[in-house]
Amino acid sequence: MSAKSKQDAIAYSEGAIRNNLSIVEYCRTSMAALSGCTAGLLGLTSLHGAFFYIFALISLWLMILFKAGFSNWDKYFISRKALLTNGFFGQLFTYILCWTFIYGMVHVY
Amino acid sequence: MAGDLIVDSEIRVWVFLPIVIITFLVGIVRHYVSMLLASQKKIETQQLKDSQMILRSRILRENARYIPKNAFLIRRQAFNKEEDGYLTQKRPAVTQNMMTDPSMMTDMVKGNLTNVLPMIIIGGWINWMFSGFITTKVPFPLTLRFKSMLQRGIELSHLDASWVSSASWYFLNVFGLRSIYTLVLGENNAADQSRQMQDQMSGAAMAMPQDPKIAFKAEWEALEIVDHQWALADVDNKLFGEEKVKTD
Amino acid sequence: MGVLKADIDQLRKWRENNERKSRETLDIWLDRLWLNIDSLGNEKYLILEQVCIAALDCHVLSVAKTCIENLYKEFPNSLRVKKLEAMHFEANEDFDNALDILNAIIKVDESNSAARKRKVAVFKAQGRIVDAIKELTEYLKIFMADVDAWQELSELYISENDFGKAAFCVEELILHNPHNHLLHQRYADIKYTQGGVENLELAKSYYSQALKMNPKNMRALYGLYLTASSLSTSSKSTTQKKKEATKIVEWSLKQIKNKYADADVMVSALAALEI
Repeated sequence: MSAKSKQDAIAYSEGAIRNNLSIVEYCRTSMAALSGCTAGLLGLTSLHGAFFYIFALISLWLMILFKAGFSNWDKYFISRKALLTNGFFGQLFTYILCWTFIYGMVHVY
Repeated sequence: MAGDLIVDSEIRVWVFLPIVIITFLVGIVRHYVSMLLASQKKIETQQLKDSQMILRSRILRENARYIPKNAFLIRRQAFNKEEDGYLTQKRPAVTQNMMTDPSMMTDMVKGNLTNVLPMIIIGGWINWMFSGFITTKVPFPLTLRFKSMLQRGIELSHLDASWVSSASWYFLNVFGLRSIYTLVLGENNAADQSRQMQDQMSGAAMAMPQDPKIAFKAEWEALEIVDHQWALADVDNKLFGEEKVKTD
Repeated sequence: MGVLKADIDQLRKWRENNERKSRETLDIWLDRLWLNIDSLGNEKYLILEQVCIAALDCHVLSVAKTCIENLYKEFPNSLRVKKLEAMHFEANEDFDNALDILNAIIKVDESNSAARKRKVAVFKAQGRIVDAIKELTEYLKIFMADVDAWQELSELYISENDFGKAAFCVEELILHNPHNHLLHQRYADIKYTQGGVENLELAKSYYSQALKMNPKNMRALYGLYLTASSLSTSSKSTTQKKKEATKIVEWSLKQIKNKYADADVMVSALAALEI
């Protein structure tokens, strides 16, 4: 987890950046699964569930930034915005599956 | 209208859950079977050479500004010169020997065996075993267009679109569980590591496009249009400039 | 059992990070693992390989021999084990046998990079630098993107005083790793040694680049000083260039002085340098 900086341009270590992103990806999948289960347990329907997903995404983003440090996150990631939006739809699928699964288990029958 | 439909809870125990468990376990078994069948690919020297060449030319393009101009020109000449540059040399077409090459064929068969076949077999079996059940309801409203997707095997025109049939539930699982697999199987297991080590030894040669000609052509073009700007041309003055700012 | 697991984890960590730590590895092996060779689980053979290389590093040939024998029992036809055996011969300075084995490996598996590299190492150990260079260039024709091989080749060329080719290799290294100040400094070293106004100009730029990336690089600072001073006295350069070079001389000298003042080194050392 390192990136060295120069005076005029910031040089990132490619391997380290990729490693960071894969870790974030892992967190995001876990988050999608967990928040999906939570939404299902709470019995959220339609728009509430969508809002819950967005809420979970943003809170994960804030947590990652907190972990990296709010002032020096750019040591670990190239773009803060991409950290939030990357894989939005990929994780959505996991979220919906977990949501539907738990919702079906608890509330439908 | 949707609320008045009551589903027998036996369906949950005997249809809904089994489908999830079966898909999940099949996915894991498939992972290990493909690991078992994966043969240590014998890499052709030529192939290795090609991929390394492309790697080197890409790096040359990206970092050319750090080497002097004539050093860059020499390299570009070596890659792109007309008759026998690295990227312009003549090659026999690869597409023909793909079918005749037996190892290629077994690889393809293996890929089918572990990926497509189980999906069809298990899917068909589930379709037959659990046909005609309504298994669950997605917790959000959907338009009628989704009916054909989510209610495969049930032809009820008055049923709300958010109900899901058993066959569709299976397919939802197949696609949705993919990222869960990376969660479950992505942890450090011994088999994966040993494979990585062998990959390291043979270099990054695995990701090789089928036909080097196309890749070479693209690389040739990209290299041809690179405009060399030496990044160090003014570096000593910059160095002093900074120094002055600091001392002021 | 807990200790054993900790050891195995430690070894795995070293293996994955490519840390050499040969003495430590060997100590762990001799202290504890050696007696529990059968309870190592499925990592047994990886550990055997690691220990074998560590033992060769430390020249404890008996341990290496046992490792190889154990591995041969399990994998009688493995090229990886054959390579270890060749290394064992190498450590014994039995180079002919080592070469025979390596050639056999390459014959079976043409794309075996490790065996080819070992061959270069054997030539180098024998002092046959020219052969080593030939072998290494052959190797690089196939594995063009192997950074370590380029580095080794540049060093071999330097030992043969073939600076032009060495510079080419270092250029290649810079391409692969443009943010390493040591490579820039190295390139400048070579260019400075080659001499001539053009090369000196290049050396000046690369020393400056190295300094810009790492202002603490003392060698680059000295190099810059030397390059600039020979540029300023060179008869071929223009007065404009000479003026610039003189400025650099003054600047670098001041920098060096500051550094030494900061470091509180005896001034006499510096005085000797100025002459």
